[in-house]
Amino acid sequence: MTGVWYVLGFAFAGVSFVFLTIGASWLLTHRNKGDHHKGLPYESGIDTYGDPHARFGLSFYIYALLFVAFDIEVIFIYLWAIIFKDLLLGGFVSMLIFVAILMLGLAYAWRKGVLTWR
Amino acid sequence: MTTVSRAWGRLTLPGKIFFTVVPLLLVLGLGGLIAIMLLGPLVLQILGDNLPLVRFVIAATAVLLAAIPIAFLNIFMEMKVIAFMNLRIGPDRVGPWGTLLSVVHGLKVLGKEDFTPTGADRTIFTLAPVVVFLGTVMSFLVIPFAPGLFGQDFNIGLLYFFAVGGLTVVGLMMAGWASFNKYSLLGGLRAAAQIVSYEIPLTLSVVGILMLAGTMSLNQIVLNQSGSFLDWYVFQQPLGALIFLIAITAEANRAPFDLTEADSEIVAGFATEYSGMRFGFLFFAEYVNMFIVSALTVTLFFGGWNAPFDWPFPISANLDPASLGIGLLILVAVVPLIGTLALAAPFWLMRSSMPTWQALVIGFVLFNVLAVAAVLGWAFVSWEWVVGLLWSMIKAYGFVFFFVWLRGTLPRVRIDQLMNFAWKWLLPAALLNLFVTALAIIVLGR
Repeated sequence: MTGVWYVLGFAFAGVSFVFLTIGASWLLTHRNKGDHHKGLPYESGIDTYGDPHARFGLSFYIYALLFVAFDIEVIFIYLWAIIFKDLLLGGFVSMLIFVAILMLGLAYAWRKGVLTWR
Repeated sequence: MTTVSRAWGRLTLPGKIFFTVVPLLLVLGLGGLIAIMLLGPLVLQILGDNLPLVRFVIAATAVLLAAIPIAFLNIFMEMKVIAFMNLRIGPDRVGPWGTLLSVVHGLKVLGKEDFTPTGADRTIFTLAPVVVFLGTVMSFLVIPFAPGLFGQDFNIGLLYFFAVGGLTVVGLMMAGWASFNKYSLLGGLRAAAQIVSYEIPLTLSVVGILMLAGTMSLNQIVLNQSGSFLDWYVFQQPLGALIFLIAITAEANRAPFDLTEADSEIVAGFATEYSGMRFGFLFFAEYVNMFIVSALTVTLFFGGWNAPFDWPFPISANLDPASLGIGLLILVAVVPLIGTLALAAPFWLMRSSMPTWQALVIGFVLFNVLAVAAVLGWAFVSWEWVVGLLWSMIKAYGFVFFFVWLRGTLPRVRIDQLMNFAWKWLLPAALLNLFVTALAIIVLGR
C-alpha cells in the first residue's frame, strides 16, 4: 500500500515542482500582449493558411490500432515470462500458439500493406 | 544617524552586500542554533515516529533536485562532445571549459516571456509540459542506483517504468494538438506514432530478462547480475540488448530517430509554439529522459551498480569520526587554518610578485578541494553504496555518451524507414529472441 502512496505523492511533488517553477518564471518575466501578429501560429514567416488543425494521414490511426493489439499481448507475455521456469515445455508450446495467432494478424496487416508508410 | 547613512553612501556595491549579508547570516545562524538546541529533540522524535514519510520526502526531494544537474550535465555533454566530433571547440567561455553554459541557458529560459498563441487551447497547452515532465521524472522512482538507494522497490518495477514512460506520449500529443499549429500537430502525431511503434519491440526485448530473472523488480534484476561482468544479462541476451538499445533510442526521441523535432522538416515539432519555462520543461524532460534511459539500460543489461570484476584488494576501513569525541571539533577548527596556510606558503614564497591575499585564496581553494577529496575517499571506503553509485553513474554516463555519439555520427532516418524497421524487423527479432531464450531455458534447465 505504501507503493501506491509513493507513486501518488511523487506525482504530486513533480506537478508542484513544475508549477512552482513556471510560476516563478511568470513572476520574473515581462509580458506583452503584442499586436495581432504575435499570437498567430508560426508558419515560417507568412500568415497562416487554412485550419491549423489540418487533416493528417490515416496511417497514424492504423499504427495506433496495431499498437493496442500488441501491447495487450505484451502484458500477457510478461506474466507468462515471470513464471516461465515453472511452466517449461507446456508454457512454451501454449505461448507459441498464442503468438502464432497474433503473428497471423501481423502477417495479414503486412500483406495488406498497412505496415508500409504512405 | 547621518554619519551612518554617510558611511553607507560611501561604500561600494560589494561593501554594501558584505555589510548586509554578514549581520543577516550571523543573526540567522545564532537563531538557528538556539532553535536547534530548544526544539531539536522534539523534532527528532516527531521525525522518528513518521519514518516512511520522512523517507518519502527525502526520496522525492533528492530525485527532483538530482534531475536538474543531470539535465545540465547532459546538455553540456551534448554541446561539447558533438563539438569535438565536428572538430570544433564548443562552449568555452562560461566557467571552466564552458561547463556553466547549460546553467546559464537554464537561467535564460527562466527569464524568457512565456507566451500562449491566440488560437491555442490554454489549459492543455500549459498542462502538456507537466505531463511530459511527470512521465520522465516518475520513472526515477524505480531505478536502483546503489544498494539501498532507490525510490521504491516495486515488484512490478519494469512494468511501472514502461507504464509511466507511456505518459510522455500523451504529453507530446497534448502539446502538438493544443499549440494550434500545423508543424506542432504533425510533430505530436509523429511522436505518438513513433513511440507507440517502438514500444512493442522495446517491451518484448526485455521478456528474455524477465524469464531469466523470474521477477519484474529492478532491484532483484540487478542483484541477479552480481559477480563478474560475465554474469551481466547482456552476455545471455545479446540480441535482446541490441533491440532494446535501438528501441530505447527511438523512445527517447534521440537521433537518428529524432523525427518528432526534425528541424529541417517540421521546425521544432510539438515544441514549435512553446516559449519560456514551458518550453524549458519540454527540453528538461527530454534530457532527463536521456539519462533515465541510459540508467535503465545499465540496470537491465549491464549489471546496474555491480562492479565489472571483483576488486582484488578489498578496501574497507571502519573509520568512525564520532569516536574522536571533542577532539573532532578541535580538528575541524584547526585543520582548515593550518591547511590553508600550509598550501598558501609555497605560492607566497615562490612568487614574490603575488599579493598575500591572492596566495591565501589559492591556498584556501586548494585546501577545500583536498578536503572534499578526503571526505569522498572516506565515504568510498566506509559505505558500500558510494561504490555502487559510482559504478552505476560511470556506466550510465557511458551510455549518455553513446547516445550523444549516435547523434554526432548518424544521419536522421526517413519516417517510412523508421516505421518499417520497427514493425518488419525489430518486432519479429524480439519474438525470435523470446522463443530462443525460452528454448535455452528448457534445454539448459536454468
